[in-house]
Amino acid sequence: MGSLVVFGILWIVGSLLGEWGATAWIDSAPNGTGPYFGTASNLGLVGVHAFDFLIWVAVPIFVFVVLMILFAMFKFRARRDENVTNAPSQVRNNKAFVGTWIVISILLNLLIWLHPNASGLEQVFAAQLPANNPKPVVIDVTARQWEWIFSYPQYHITQSLNASGQDTLYMPVNRPVKFVLRSYDPFHSYAHQVDVIHGFWIPAFGVKYDVIPGETRILYLTATKLMSTETNPMARVQCSEVCGPGHPYMEANLHVVTGSQFAAWAKAQAARG
Amino acid sequence: MAQPLTKEGPDPETRRVAPLPPVLRGFLWAAIGFIVFAALAAWLDPSRVSPYITAVGAVAGWFGAMIGWLLGIGGYEHVVKPMMGYPSPAVRTSGWRRYYEYALDHKVIGIQYLGASTGTFLIAGLIAMAMRFQLMSYRPTLFHYPQNYLNAVGIHGTLMMFTVATVAMVGGLGNYFVPLMIGTRETMFPKASGMSVWLVPLGVLTVAMSPLLGQWTTGWRGYEPLASSDGSGLLYYYLGVFALTTSSLIVAINLTATILFKRTRGMTWNRLPLFAWGILTVSLLNIIWLPEIQTTFVLGMLDKVMPLNLFNVFGQPLGYEYLFWLFGHPEVYIVVLPALAIWSEIIPVMGRKSLFARPIAVLGLVFVMLLSGMVWAHHMFTMMRFSEMLPFSFFTEMISIPTGFAYLAVIGTLWNSRLRLTTPTLLVLMSMFNFLIGGLTGLFLADVPANLQLHNTFFVVGHFHYTIIGGMVFSWMAAMYYWLPKFSGRTYSEFWGKLGAIWVFVAFNATFLNFFILGLHGMNRWVSVYPKYLQPENFWTSIAAFFLGAGFAINIIHIVWAWMKGPKVKENPWDAKTLEWRTSSPPPTKNFDTLPVVVGSFYTYGEGVPDPVEIPVSEMETKGSPG
Ligand code: HEM
Ligand SMILES: [Cu+2]
Ligand SMILES: [Cu+2]
Repeated sequence: MGSLVVFGILWIVGSLLGEWGATAWIDSAPNGTGPYFGTASNLGLVGVHAFDFLIWVAVPIFVFVVLMILFAMFKFRARRDENVTNAPSQVRNNKAFVGTWIVISILLNLLIWLHPNASGLEQVFAAQLPANNPKPVVIDVTARQWEWIFSYPQYHITQSLNASGQDTLYMPVNRPVKFVLRSYDPFHSYAHQVDVIHGFWIPAFGVKYDVIPGETRILYLTATKLMSTETNPMARVQCSEVCGPGHPYMEANLHVVTGSQFAAWAKAQAARG
Repeated sequence: MAQPLTKEGPDPETRRVAPLPPVLRGFLWAAIGFIVFAALAAWLDPSRVSPYITAVGAVAGWFGAMIGWLLGIGGYEHVVKPMMGYPSPAVRTSGWRRYYEYALDHKVIGIQYLGASTGTFLIAGLIAMAMRFQLMSYRPTLFHYPQNYLNAVGIHGTLMMFTVATVAMVGGLGNYFVPLMIGTRETMFPKASGMSVWLVPLGVLTVAMSPLLGQWTTGWRGYEPLASSDGSGLLYYYLGVFALTTSSLIVAINLTATILFKRTRGMTWNRLPLFAWGILTVSLLNIIWLPEIQTTFVLGMLDKVMPLNLFNVFGQPLGYEYLFWLFGHPEVYIVVLPALAIWSEIIPVMGRKSLFARPIAVLGLVFVMLLSGMVWAHHMFTMMRFSEMLPFSFFTEMISIPTGFAYLAVIGTLWNSRLRLTTPTLLVLMSMFNFLIGGLTGLFLADVPANLQLHNTFFVVGHFHYTIIGGMVFSWMAAMYYWLPKFSGRTYSEFWGKLGAIWVFVAFNATFLNFFILGLHGMNRWVSVYPKYLQPENFWTSIAAFFLGAGFAINIIHIVWAWMKGPKVKENPWDAKTLEWRTSSPPPTKNFDTLPVVVGSFYTYGEGVPDPVEIPVSEMETKGSPG
């Protein structure tokens, strides 16, 4: 009984300390983005909330098992010179303990499935409804071995390039963007033999979606922060699914700019042809 | 190794039938087989301009090499000729040479599997060191082209999964200990078992040499449609894995049949040792899923050799991925179930305490087995339809409940025990810690919105190394130290054992905790070059990884030393109750002089608990009362 009380107290204290440390970590950056980083979009914010919530769930479980391991190592340890003796207690079952364990583990799993998972997915699904994305900037994203090509049909930009001729993604902040993801485009010849899966990932936005041969997939996304690859290396387009030797190099620069900057940029790009 | 040949062996018969050492003859016959079959393919191939080694020729030649190898290693005398009516030649039963020949004794076969796994662990581990060396810098250093690095990743993953993680504790420890633990003298199909182990070196060599045929970049999963346009080395990835999985399949069938039909008297299902339960559930998983992945790989291979357009835009681009993970997720439980079972084997013995909630521990193994086929697509959240996300995240999270039962049983046993803090105990506790982190990070990955960020980053790589190394490799090491006295009658040094355990534990966590941080920082998988801001963290991760590699080497050297030269130890040094300790160490060829009879539970301790084992009275004079 004594050990049980000590264990209980230590567990509660340890969990509280752990939660305090976790919260400090989470709050070490604004909006609870501490350990997560990928939060500069509406979808990334859903992810970070899930992540933070799961940290809080995980802490007491972690402390429980680690404390048990430490108890085993220090409290229940047989003294070195002691002869091998049987443990004084030989409890082989404890209905209360087993029952509580099973009920708690079922409830906990149901909980985290409902929240943050299902609740977060609800937000993700809602964010993908065209009705919730009025007047989006349409960006056709083409993933090829090994290049990202960005076209802006509304602005008559067939391939957005920077001054040194590299593909570049520009998007306005706080305005919905409709990414049309596919692996072929009208401007290049298509070779089905080398059409492979790529992953459209912007680490800073906290979201990725794969580009599947033969399919056109749509991803609605709203960037919530001004940023560019030059100032934040996580603000980049990176292929996340292995796609052959060029995979590590399959990245593109990203610029999230204000609405007026975007308009100016689009005009200049369109003028380039 | 100039061990003199003892009186009992080698019998002259073996000498006469094998003029060359079997391994050498296997190589020779394999080469002949390759040439003959490749020539046949070249002869059948209508194209006059094609080179001698074509994709088709390499595949046909490989099958010739496999047949030659298996016949040369001993299949000719021991399997083929007896089928035609010739007497079976004797099998060497002593001396080190028996490990390099066809064997029938499940203990020899178990050690052969263990040796193959350990050797492959070293090879694939060295490849990991090379990968970590490359990742110390954000630009190409060791691997000048990404495909070199990607091929290394693929070989590392394939060998580790199919030769180490799924083999060491099943083909190795399972073959050695299950017959001893259930009280039988042999396995159900010893002849098939003696052959199956030789598929392992063949498979390992095939995968390791595959770049010679053309570098491949898909990693261990062989994702289509990339695979069909990728280097031809993938053909040898498919074939190597085919050999390795066939080997595991034979082990599974053999051990399942052995557990079902060869238990000694009184070994009821309620008394069956936990490790045997673990091997049984794993074997059922293997029997269900290995044929599935083999079929998938055959489709992939056919698609590569003669474009069938199965998995590209004309077929089903995601078809392969679904088929792969249908097997791939159960695979991770194939890896970890024996580890969870080992915990419940070691802790009651070391804690001198009855196993807590034994039925729950067994149910946990069984339910994990049943559920594991329902979660596969959680590897594909970034590819799937929205409607699939909720059910797959649901089953994924639910599987943590039966997995938790393993913890429930061990924790209940640890409580108020008299725990002897030996090296095996320490390693089990460490394994519990590591696997806990692996499991908890799984919660984050199973959350779909977070998965869309974490998927295919180093967060995932950290997660599965925590479950596989943390769960399986640490438990494997625990089992090796625990059973060392059984293998050889010798024991290890507690000092070096503990030092080795603490060393790998610290280095392991220093390495792989960083993987999580790297992943969150935007480090993705399968990259040999990466943005510069990730370099400092990668650098320190690599330094820790080198320490980890050294730590594994220390443990392996220590175990080998203890096995050969360690201090002699009494027969049942841990005072364990299971049957493997009821015979001499190392056990005689036929395991038991008299088959023991089980009359009670192996996992019940306490004052006045009767001995769970009886040796039939009439033969008491051949074996004294068990120590
Ligand atoms: C000895 C220490 C080890 C180190 C330092 C290590 C390191 C790594 C690294 C750096 C990667 C590649 C990540 C990437 O670029 O995508 C990797 C992949 C992998 N490792 Fe390990 N590893 C070790 C041991 C193991 C073990 C013991 C296993 C399993 C038994 C294992 C299984 C895998 C698998 C399955 C992959 C994925 C390969 C793929 O993506 O195709 N590793 N490992
Ligand atoms: Cu890629
Ligand atoms: Cu899985």
